[in-house]
Amino acid sequence: MEFLGQHQLYIVMLIVVAIWLGIYWYLFRLDRRLRNLEQQSKH
Amino acid sequence: MALRITLGILLTLVLCAGIGFPLSQNPQHWYELPVIPGLEEKARLIFFHVPTAWLSVIAFLTGMVFSVRYLRRRDPMDDLRSSAAAGLGFMFCILATLTGAIWAKFNWGSFWNWDPRETSIFVLLLIYGAYFSLRSAIENQEKRSTLSAVYSILAAITVPFFIFILPRITSGLHPGSKGDPDGAGPVVQFQMSPNMRVIFFTSLFAFTLLFIWMFQLRVRAGKLEMDRDPQQAS
Repeated sequence: MEFLGQHQLYIVMLIVVAIWLGIYWYLFRLDRRLRNLEQQSKH
Repeated sequence: MALRITLGILLTLVLCAGIGFPLSQNPQHWYELPVIPGLEEKARLIFFHVPTAWLSVIAFLTGMVFSVRYLRRRDPMDDLRSSAAAGLGFMFCILATLTGAIWAKFNWGSFWNWDPRETSIFVLLLIYGAYFSLRSAIENQEKRSTLSAVYSILAAITVPFFIFILPRITSGLHPGSKGDPDGAGPVVQFQMSPNMRVIFFTSLFAFTLLFIWMFQLRVRAGKLEMDRDPQQAS
């Protein structure tokens, strides 16, 4: 915390990473959903 | 394809400029950003945190538009689009809350302060959390679609109040609150320099394209599910 207080650019990086992880999580779930649908349509 | 390429280029530019451009007390060059007192390096968050809140507003209003269309035309695709938009809005609302909490820790001293801005976004999360509870509680597809369309319209009416009005008419810690010592804050009074404004609006535009792309993907997946099982699709 002290480090982040002194190097504020890393706080910006932390927030950009948080946004990216959120978008990644959403796309990951969507990908899994589509894969399930593809498998179902094969059977 | 054009959407994805434009999105890729714009977001890359925003990331490079938003994080890479140096701050300067007396900006002389086009690439230097001014130091905003009290925010310093954290002012860069305006390029990333604000667009997440912006997208939640866009998504919730999109959800409302498709809800109105569903009630008029009774097309299950409109219900699908409405719920997809609300889902994306909820995700971006969570991201705005989380990123705001991280920022608050270093600007205000703790992750959560019950500032009017934090309280209003929390209430919005509860409102839309209830929307998804409502959808999952009703089995009959037509009843679920109709009730959730009505709820979505009512919920979206509260969005401008909670995002744009309430935090600005009450005193608080967030930039833009009533009684902000630096005026109405960098966003509201446009204290940003011209180059900051270019990055900021490019970021808003790029994130809007990102929303459109994610929304299209989600609707396509939902359409496939609906074709397989119309009762279970959500």
